[in-house]
Amino acid sequence: MSVLRPLDKLPELNTATILLVGTEDALLQQLAESMLKHRCASELRVHLANSLPLPSNVNRPRIDLIVFVINLHRKHSLRNVEECLNHVDGSFFLGKVCFLVTGAGMKSHCSIHQNTVIKLARTYRSPLIFCDLEVESFRATVAQRLVRMLQICAGHVPGVSALNLMSLLKCSDSPPPKEL
Amino acid sequence: MSENEQEMDSEITTDTKVIIDTKEELIKQCEEIWKDMEECQNKLSLTGTETLTKSNAQLSLLIMQVNCLTAELDHWNKRTPEITPLTEDVLLTLGKEEFQKLRCNLEMVLSTIQSKNEKLKEDLEREQQWLEEQQQILESLNVLHSDLKNEVVTFSESRLFNELKTKMLSIKEFKKKLLFALGEFLEDHFPLPDGNIKKKKKNTQESNAQLITLNEMVEMLINRMFDVPHDPYVKISDSFWPPYIELLLRYGIALRHPEDPTRIRLEAFHQ
Repeated sequence: MSVLRPLDKLPELNTATILLVGTEDALLQQLAESMLKHRCASELRVHLANSLPLPSNVNRPRIDLIVFVINLHRKHSLRNVEECLNHVDGSFFLGKVCFLVTGAGMKSHCSIHQNTVIKLARTYRSPLIFCDLEVESFRATVAQRLVRMLQICAGHVPGVSALNLMSLLKCSDSPPPKEL
Repeated sequence: MSENEQEMDSEITTDTKVIIDTKEELIKQCEEIWKDMEECQNKLSLTGTETLTKSNAQLSLLIMQVNCLTAELDHWNKRTPEITPLTEDVLLTLGKEEFQKLRCNLEMVLSTIQSKNEKLKEDLEREQQWLEEQQQILESLNVLHSDLKNEVVTFSESRLFNELKTKMLSIKEFKKKLLFALGEFLEDHFPLPDGNIKKKKKNTQESNAQLITLNEMVEMLINRMFDVPHDPYVKISDSFWPPYIELLLRYGIALRHPEDPTRIRLEAFHQ
């Protein structure tokens, strides 16, 4: 079980599971709580992890959406995420992976350039969301977006598959801007 | 009695059977879908895993995307819409819904038609009132018209002519009367000098012309005034008795010609 695979288990009835991976424990916890506050038709399960691979002794349900959280103020979070990407099966990236970047508001504290993250998202052809998780209202908005995405990825929205969503949320195919 | 009971029993069982049938059908369908899923899951677990590196990520992901999208497209093309099992109670609920919708629509239509009806009635009333008013106007106009018609006397020329004639005659009469009165008055109060004066004065005053009365003088002046309005002057002849001329001039009845003292005219009292 060292590599996460998207459809390795049968789904449970009416449940959708999301995995948040990142080094900022406090932020992840807050984001998880905001997500669970939202009422939606399906049952939500939020799993938090600092890094992959996940310990195999835990019995967990099938994961529908992975969100990698990167903090622009700490280079370590980016390196951590890049390592984790090696433990994810390729078929996950067909719409079931999302990158969430926080800390872009305080430019003076940023040690990672925005373009780096943008390039990363483009390489793995996944949507990239910028959000300041410290602010309550932004966090709530992002939580709502993630809940919607999760519902689609879990297949609870008839007629839209994760792949369709990816095509709809298309990141531009233009070449990345020159890195300074 | 027993037959009836038996019939009722069989009816009840068929009813419950029908209800159970719908549920069972749905459960059956769900079970079939679950079996399909398990089969797919088994097939999937047989496929291997493949992690991506940064270098080959884009290309392999694009290829995978193409494959998956084509597969999904095929699936959508092949798929036919499934309907819920059409058992009695399902049909009943569907039918009820349809009837409700129909009832709502018909009610809307009814209310719109009723409001239209009322509007039309109002319009009709208004138009009728207008029509009545117009008819009244027409009637009154007709009455006026007939009245005027009656008043208009038939135009006949002879009548007009006769009327004018009578008018003229009356005016002429009046004129005659006036002149007669004037003549009498003047004769009474302003007689001609009788022949005594002639006899007394043996002057070689030429009294060739016969002296005319004041009445005649005045008449002459009047006639001249109306005959020749642009030159109403009368030459003083010897037949005019000078004192009377003086009288006329002094009382402003006659005026001298501004340049010629031998001509006088009547004062224009009528202007």
